[in-house]
Amino acid sequence: MTWHLTPRQLHDYARGRADEVAAMSAEAHIMSCSHCRSALPADESWLQASWADLRDIVDRPRRGPLERLLSAVGVAEDKARLLAATPRLYRAWLIATVTVLACALFAAHTVHGGALLFLYLAPVLPLAGVALAYGRRVDPAHAFTSTTPMGGQRLLFLRSLAVLVPAVALCAGAALLLPSFGPAWAPAAWLLPSLTLVAASLAFTRWMPLGVSSALLAGTWLIALGAAEAVRAWNTIHLFGPTAQLCWAVALAALLAAHPLARAGRA
Amino acid sequence: MTAATEGRPSPGTGPAAGPLASARGLTKRYGVRHALAGIDLDVGPGVTGLLGRNGAGKTTLLRCLATDLDPGGGRLTVLGESPETSAGRTRIRRGIGHLPQNPVLYPHFTAFSLVDYIAVLKELGGRRARHDEVRRVLDAVGLYDRRHSRVRRLSGGMRQRLALACALLGEPRLLLLDEPTIGLDPEQRIRFRDLVSEFTRDRGAVLSTHQIEDVGALCSRVLVLDAGRLVFDGSPDELTGHARGRVWSAARRPRDAATAWRGPDGRYRVLTPEAADPPADAGEAHPVEPTLEDGYLLFTAERG
Repeated sequence: MTWHLTPRQLHDYARGRADEVAAMSAEAHIMSCSHCRSALPADESWLQASWADLRDIVDRPRRGPLERLLSAVGVAEDKARLLAATPRLYRAWLIATVTVLACALFAAHTVHGGALLFLYLAPVLPLAGVALAYGRRVDPAHAFTSTTPMGGQRLLFLRSLAVLVPAVALCAGAALLLPSFGPAWAPAAWLLPSLTLVAASLAFTRWMPLGVSSALLAGTWLIALGAAEAVRAWNTIHLFGPTAQLCWAVALAALLAAHPLARAGRA
Repeated sequence: MTAATEGRPSPGTGPAAGPLASARGLTKRYGVRHALAGIDLDVGPGVTGLLGRNGAGKTTLLRCLATDLDPGGGRLTVLGESPETSAGRTRIRRGIGHLPQNPVLYPHFTAFSLVDYIAVLKELGGRRARHDEVRRVLDAVGLYDRRHSRVRRLSGGMRQRLALACALLGEPRLLLLDEPTIGLDPEQRIRFRDLVSEFTRDRGAVLSTHQIEDVGALCSRVLVLDAGRLVFDGSPDELTGHARGRVWSAARRPRDAATAWRGPDGRYRVLTPEAADPPADAGEAHPVEPTLEDGYLLFTAERG
């Protein structure tokens, strides 16, 4: 090599102040000139930070599509990790939910009054998902997670959200495919009962495991509706009527206000 | 304090303020059975060993200390906080590391992502500092080179070490370890002892185990539980001393021995109920130095 970079050129290159052409030229020269390479001022802290960055990129857990989607819509990185890492039973529930909704839709289109079946089943599906979201029986690592600061009500709430959002989205999507029945808002009549039942199942965890409270509420809901239909003593459509919707909304608000996290927030 | 733990609310009060954990008349019932029947204890710095038969209440006690179980009665404070309220439980959980018995981990996670997931649950943030902490604990348990392996591809001993790494996250002030050396080979157990010993220089740990050698090697204090009651609270030397003058090497198994077993040399190691002359029907017998295991076996044998 018959020429070398001047100290000024080396300094500008190292500081990132050289323009694009000068930087490319300096880089090509440094690759083949050990003298200039050794003269290149090394920024130890920059080097360490760069290595740390590189190591973090290599070690960083690969994010799944759901985690990336959650981050893209503004969910914090740590919350996105928690929401995306739900137990595997969640998948089984998701498949079951799609199957039940498909059957309910089929019934709604083929059987007279079949849309009612959809209204009966839709509130139970999120309840089943929430039951599978948290607890010793459904989460293999529950013994670990339950004694972390996020364990208990906070993790239960996050995981419930993780199943509630897709459950409501699926039910809402299915409701759009229902045949026309009742007033324009009738396909959405299941939403408030559904949210109220979920809120109630979470509230009952103060006294019993989540799985038990969800099963109790889902069982009571289905048996009561089934019995009312069987004896034809009372028209169950009233459960989804305007007055009932107001009652569901009041009950939901009361349950949310009484939730431990809401009380803790107020405190 | 690592970067990941900076800015976190400090759990409980400082070490000088009192014991790391304290129980008075602690009870826990499962139906009609008393798993804990009035436990009084204070846990300080260093390693406290918890010995007892299966069903003696060791795991129940650890789970109460870890806020995984609500005690049925009595008073309990951990790191100066009561676990009776949700806020108290959260503050305790910020300061403890819990390794449950037979920990099950998500098999589809990689070692790194699993520990990172638990780190998120332990409120360690932000991402870079949290990842540094994950690397630190994986390195401490010798699993950094396997950080990209799926949990299902790790051996039983590696999974146990991975679980220990999760417990060590965030430099907890009190470690609660339930049977931590199950599945570890001798080298790993020595490494585990070294790790826990180093960790508890200025902190505390409660170690529930059936491995009496681990207690002898690590613990400055031993608790023996029997049917939910604390029947011994002292140093390993004191527990060993309980068998002094009551351990014999004999040619035959005597009828009135508290316990006896045949060794590889064909002679019987005999533990006698009382410190006295050699057992009458044991043939030729001479006294031998008791071990911690002898002391523990005599203690449990005396209680049926």
